[in-house]
Amino acid sequence: MSEQLTSQGKKEEPSKADMTTDTHVGNLITSTAQVRPDVLIKHVADGFFTNAQMEAVALVDHRQKPVGLVTRNKFLMKLFRLYGYELYGRKPVISMADTAPLLVAAEERLDIALDKAMGRPFQDIYDELVVVDSKGFYMGLLSVKDLVIRQSHALANSIVQKELAHAKASELEKISQVKSQFLANVTHELRSPVNAIISIAELMQMSCEKGYIEQLKDRLSLMLSSATSLKAIINNVLDLSKIEAGKMAAIFEEFDAIGKLDEIVETGKVLAGSKPVDVILNAGQSYLPLESDPVKFRQIVLNLVSNAVKFTEKGRITVSVEAEGGHITVSVSDTGPGIKKEDMDKLFTAFGQIEDAKTKRHEGTGLGLTVTRHLVDLLKGSIWLESEWGTGTTFFVRLPEKSNTNQRSA
Amino acid sequence: MSEQKKTILVIDDDENLLMATRDLLEHWGYKVFTHRRGFGSTAAIDLVKPDLVLLDMNMPGLPGDRLASLLGSFAATKSVPIVFYSSNDEDTLRKAVSECNVRGYIPKGDIYELQRKVRHYLNWI
Repeated sequence: MSEQLTSQGKKEEPSKADMTTDTHVGNLITSTAQVRPDVLIKHVADGFFTNAQMEAVALVDHRQKPVGLVTRNKFLMKLFRLYGYELYGRKPVISMADTAPLLVAAEERLDIALDKAMGRPFQDIYDELVVVDSKGFYMGLLSVKDLVIRQSHALANSIVQKELAHAKASELEKISQVKSQFLANVTHELRSPVNAIISIAELMQMSCEKGYIEQLKDRLSLMLSSATSLKAIINNVLDLSKIEAGKMAAIFEEFDAIGKLDEIVETGKVLAGSKPVDVILNAGQSYLPLESDPVKFRQIVLNLVSNAVKFTEKGRITVSVEAEGGHITVSVSDTGPGIKKEDMDKLFTAFGQIEDAKTKRHEGTGLGLTVTRHLVDLLKGSIWLESEWGTGTTFFVRLPEKSNTNQRSA
Repeated sequence: MSEQKKTILVIDDDENLLMATRDLLEHWGYKVFTHRRGFGSTAAIDLVKPDLVLLDMNMPGLPGDRLASLLGSFAATKSVPIVFYSSNDEDTLRKAVSECNVRGYIPKGDIYELQRKVRHYLNWI
């Protein structure tokens, strides 16, 4: 390559993130090849021969201002016509150059530069663009072919961005639908026991007025049962909003898991009431130390037990515990109706069925298991179930025996 | 009063509310039967031959609106007047009434409304 001809080669490829329509062309310079206008044509021809990568070279004067452009195809074609080399070889390169190449400022946007390039006469469309800085000094060359590729990438990219934005918007809309459906369902679930309490209270008032004191006892127990179910729903809703706000924290301490499970089983028996359902604890040992949050632990297992009681008309609910490999696994097994496979995935989502409240196929709010799953997460454990339609269901909760951190937020 | 001999069937899965409603209606002098599931309602209606059915909407398995459509399609039950009795908001109830072949609705939780509307629907029949 001639010593008068300098080229610093291509700049590094910009990353895909840069390929937006507002990319400045100054960042896209592909070559900084330049030559003085008085250099002889034969030297420039040598340059094109020796550097096959060089598509064009700018003519830059002693003040570093661009004064012309020669492109490989046009230059060589002219030169190789009959006598071309003989005629021109010894002349300065300026005599064969395009002396009015398209100059673009380094700050020019890619799409605008491309518009300008494409606005040129057909034969010049693919000529390189000359990039100058704010003072008009030569900076380098832009390959139009390269710009076209970049621009099409940028367009494709913006289409992808638009699609992503669209997908996000519809996702948000779906979430908002789920939330309002959730609200409608919660409203219904809260209203039901309140309505029952009001009706029962009215009845009790009538009993009092008539002096039927013996009726009061029955009605009081009805009212208590409605109030208890209302309390459970309210607690679940509050817990869930606490979890969603990231305000639910676990406080780890050591306690006896067997003792806790004993208490839960006793509560389960009370819940079963007069139903022909046995609630039993099946544990190999009488003491099992666990470093976890005892309040959350109780809530998790009690929730599973009360669910089992709710759905089991007769038979047995067995709470078992096993310790193995630094973990304990508590299982709650019932002889209830079982859960269909297609419904299993939805179990741990609040109102998992995401159905209209009036047409929902499942009893309850679905809040309990959602809260339970979050609590299990909080205790760094896992929850899963096995069920056979018509035979029964077993829920498993696996928790680490020891906690490594003292506190963790949901 | 002839009204006091009228028979009402209440279909609801919430046992507490079912009992409370039964006691209230009996207190007002109606003969009351209760049914705790959507399923088996046709047989219950056929057996009881009620003058009015109070039907809950949110029931597992067979929700009230679907049940109402079913009851409307059976010869044995299609002439029985049905009224939704539900904790849903009134907009939902109004919509469900317009979509199902039922006489109307009574929102749960207001016993005077229950008393007034039951009388209204029974007299209307």
